[in-house]
Amino acid sequence: MTDTTMVSKSPRDNVTPRSSSSRHFRRYWQLYVMMLLPLCHFILFKYAPLIGNVLAFRRYRPGMGPYGTEWVGWAYFERFLQDPAFWRAFNNTLILSFGNILINFPIPIIFALLLYEVRSKRFRKFVQTISYMPRFISTVVVIAILGELLSPSSGLLNRVLGSLFGMDPIYFVNEPQFFRPIYILTDTWQYTGWTAIIYLAAITGVNREMFEAAEIDGASRFQKVIYVTIPSIMSTIMVMLILNVGSLLSLGFEKVLLLYTPSNAAVSDIIDTLVYRTGLMNQNYSYATAIGLFSGVIGVILVSSTNWLSKKMSGESIY
Amino acid sequence: MSKKKIVSLALASIMAMSSLAACSSKNNNGESASPSPSAGSSSQASTTPNKAEDKLKFSIFYSDNATLPFKEDWLVVQEVEKRFNVDIHFEVIPIADYQTKVSLALNTGNNAPDVILYQSTKGENASLALNGAIVPISDYSDWTPNFNAKVKEFGLENDLAALNLKDGKRYYLPSLYDKPFYDGGLILRKDLLEKYGQQEPKTFDDLYNVLKKFKAENPDSYPLTILAGPRVLYRMTMPSFGISVGKNGADGSRTLSWDYEKQTYFPGAISDQYKEYMKFFSKLYAEGLLDPEMADPIDGDKWSTKLATGKSFASYAYYDQIGGVEGAATEAGFDLQMYPPLAGPAGAHHQQKSRTGSGIMFPKKTADRKDFEQLVKKIDEIFFSDEGSKIWGLGAEGVTYTMDGDKIKYADEIVNSPNGIYKTMQLNYGAGSDVTQLVWVNAREMTKYDENYSQINATVASMKDPIQAIPPTPMFDDMTAEEAASLQTPLYDTFEVWADGFLTGKKSLDKDWDKYVKEMKTLQIEKFTQMYNDNLKK
Amino acid sequence: MNKQRKYRPLTIGDVLINGFMVLVVLICFVPFLYMLALSLSSPDAIINNKVSLFPVGLNFEAYKQIFTYPNFFKAYGNTIFYTIGGTLISLFMSALFAYAMSKQFLKGHKLVMMLIVFSMFFSGGLIPTYLLISDLHLTGTVWAMLIPFAINQFNLIILINFFRAIPAEIEEAAIIDGLNYFGILQRVILPLSTPALATIGLYTAVFFWNDWFNGLIYLNTNQYPVMLFLRNIVNGTAMVGDGAGAADKSTIAMSIKSAVIITSTLPIIILYPMLQRFFVAGLTVGSVKG
Repeated sequence: MTDTTMVSKSPRDNVTPRSSSSRHFRRYWQLYVMMLLPLCHFILFKYAPLIGNVLAFRRYRPGMGPYGTEWVGWAYFERFLQDPAFWRAFNNTLILSFGNILINFPIPIIFALLLYEVRSKRFRKFVQTISYMPRFISTVVVIAILGELLSPSSGLLNRVLGSLFGMDPIYFVNEPQFFRPIYILTDTWQYTGWTAIIYLAAITGVNREMFEAAEIDGASRFQKVIYVTIPSIMSTIMVMLILNVGSLLSLGFEKVLLLYTPSNAAVSDIIDTLVYRTGLMNQNYSYATAIGLFSGVIGVILVSSTNWLSKKMSGESIY
Repeated sequence: MSKKKIVSLALASIMAMSSLAACSSKNNNGESASPSPSAGSSSQASTTPNKAEDKLKFSIFYSDNATLPFKEDWLVVQEVEKRFNVDIHFEVIPIADYQTKVSLALNTGNNAPDVILYQSTKGENASLALNGAIVPISDYSDWTPNFNAKVKEFGLENDLAALNLKDGKRYYLPSLYDKPFYDGGLILRKDLLEKYGQQEPKTFDDLYNVLKKFKAENPDSYPLTILAGPRVLYRMTMPSFGISVGKNGADGSRTLSWDYEKQTYFPGAISDQYKEYMKFFSKLYAEGLLDPEMADPIDGDKWSTKLATGKSFASYAYYDQIGGVEGAATEAGFDLQMYPPLAGPAGAHHQQKSRTGSGIMFPKKTADRKDFEQLVKKIDEIFFSDEGSKIWGLGAEGVTYTMDGDKIKYADEIVNSPNGIYKTMQLNYGAGSDVTQLVWVNAREMTKYDENYSQINATVASMKDPIQAIPPTPMFDDMTAEEAASLQTPLYDTFEVWADGFLTGKKSLDKDWDKYVKEMKTLQIEKFTQMYNDNLKK
Repeated sequence: MNKQRKYRPLTIGDVLINGFMVLVVLICFVPFLYMLALSLSSPDAIINNKVSLFPVGLNFEAYKQIFTYPNFFKAYGNTIFYTIGGTLISLFMSALFAYAMSKQFLKGHKLVMMLIVFSMFFSGGLIPTYLLISDLHLTGTVWAMLIPFAINQFNLIILINFFRAIPAEIEEAAIIDGLNYFGILQRVILPLSTPALATIGLYTAVFFWNDWFNGLIYLNTNQYPVMLFLRNIVNGTAMVGDGAGAADKSTIAMSIKSAVIITSTLPIIILYPMLQRFFVAGLTVGSVKG
């Protein structure tokens, strides 16, 4: 019954008059009910454990209660904020992350666009399937394969470089200047196909009629991509970008740890590895929590500002 | 309105959650503090009458190694359950994550088992123990007669006392060794040694010459390679130079070394001995005698490949690993052999070893069991009695072995197995796992290996103090421990970077040494040393 | 449209794109081929560095051996159960949440959205989460795997975004047809969103398939997922190696490691080809009846 009364108004219409909030609920109560269960779940499992963050301000003593024993104020924050190793790790994290986004954000989009241009449907599906397989190789194995490939004594790459250019073998995994490229390129290899899935799903959703209309207008293939496909998936692209920038401080910890050697420590020590060594290996939970909280705040700042920027510039935002 | 609703909903659920959490943690505390009449050492008189032959049931955390996957139907497990009339519930946890699971159980007190194997009170466990999460088992020594007897038999009273924490109590039943094992060290291609007319190396200078010869004969090779990063090399060779730094020790000393004469710690990472040590190995590196691919942990496969294919001829590794390489090598006469520790400036020493190892721990809540006394006594019997420890080490008499007078005779199928006695006993019967075998008699273990191994062990045993005792752990309380840890990390980081620099020649030992020492001093290595020495047992 | 495409002559662009895709396939597939070859080769051949892309000394020993590991099949079954159960619960919860959240005019929309986004950046740490789940008496039950991780913020946001892109006119039409919001979600939105659901479903399934940590801390031995098993075999020696313990001493043959990787990843890899049939915009806007 209520449904029929709604017909006149578009559900998108959000200029519901203020006075009619009871009408609003009568009309949309189902949507609120829909949200209820997931929201409770969300608050229970995502927000309740956040109490644990008090540990950033309280000293944790093993075996004496999960929420610490006494208040220490900002002591743990001061400790890492004054630690030069922290700032080095902070810089390394930012540089590595930015580099990673710069390279590995556009590549899956380009890949998805190109893949969609492949004519044979069967070949397209085949490529799609194969390209996402590297996602499933565990990091340890990726690093092991990499070690073999790049080994100065037996590695394929060094042999090729040696025979083609007469170069001396390079110990890639131990040279600081190769650490970032190695990290980023292995990410490209592992995640391009995987991330492209989202964009492929978005492209699939693009209205066919728009392509047909563009074709009638005499648009070239390239023009269709630029003027039809990309604008249609722009909101997905922006959402992904915002989420990516927001998670700037979280890198593939395990991979960095596996690639870490004393020689490349100056560039490979990131926040997570520092926390691992100072906080978790020595069971200093409070210290680790303080750094985690700090990273979280930075993440929120980054995501809010990207979101704000995106809203200003492209009209897309996630909230 | 709805905003309010959502906020209040959120608040309500958070509050509900936190009160729930609070309640239950209260419950936990309540539980552990609540009077459980039969707990405590003075309650023997009031123990409930034993229902004659009721099976004792308990749960146990077991650290599982993928190379030796646990099987519930292992002969040793069956035999123990039958012989001691117990029903053990094994929680089999992968070794890589064992500490995580144990740490969670002890930190939260939730879901802890009755008994935890393969533990000691190093690192976090010390704090957990001092803060009451672990049963101080030394308070109950009346209930562990078998353990006490073995300690006495092996003469381990002092070693045991060294395990006491700051409060003078010991929180676990360690595994016991009558003699330290020489289970790894320098391994070399014996066939090549003979082929090139070289003598068995006795000193590090000899080693240098041998490697030099190998290199001269095989210019493409890197004669000495390393397993699992430089750690193993450091661990096994430094004691001959009078230091021991850079190991990944759980006691956290890392940049410090122990002076056996003065019985104090000294800053080994900036000592002359360390400089001397680095001089030797950087020379090896510079002359292409040491595998440069040692910075990243070389895993077992790569390591085996190098040795089997003649890319390397020597390494520091464990005896158990020789077989795998030899089996894969195709070269005729390929013979890899282990050698006793080499003499350096401070004599010939192998990696320091303790005569106690990780062992059994009881989480706090186990003491609330009505039959706690019975449980402890049973555990003592199962793991430390002659009967029990023999099962864990050798399996069941009549099945895996028979006694021929004093001699152990293993069953034919074990002796003839291609895996060798030691491995077959482990894999097929569960005997000889360092998780469950807590009594180690060197002579008895040697019967599981070929003669070579026992010969080397005999040679090593006849040397003067080849395996030094592990330095004492300082008696930190958890606050000092936290402070020490915060000093330790940057020190160790710096040490590691410089060690790599010195070794590879990126930093010069002559020119840059002072700068390095200064940096370490800025990071308060001296204060760190002081903390260790101040907290030693008087 | 596809028909039209078929008859167009191949252009240079097509050749380049196809060539590039062949290259991608090679780069992505070769490591798998290599691991497959390793898993089927004899250990001697591996140690002597003879294996490249095809097995040397073909044998199935490695597979035989992992099948004799106690609990391997049990763990496998567990993982399949967690993956299917977890994904279904997750899709159910996420779809409900995302559909409601795709309506920006709802009161409190912005607040909830911010709650969702902000929670991505903070975690309470291991111990509080552990305490919560154990206080809810979920530990040691399969629910500990299925329930706490049912909503992933990243997937949720993606799904919200997809739902938002569905033209409002379609819903209006459905309302005229007399459907309520539950009905619209079920009969209109979900069928229209199969590519999005397949994507999110895949991401979620892979999360559950790959998870070992939650399995480790919340479950008992006989409930462990297969990934814990894989990790123990593949990482066991690489990550530990701290003391003079057994881990430093013995290593697991590369053939076995590879065999374990192959057997424990193959099922999830073939999931995507199966889901690909949902990647057709079966219903376009125009085809929805008015």
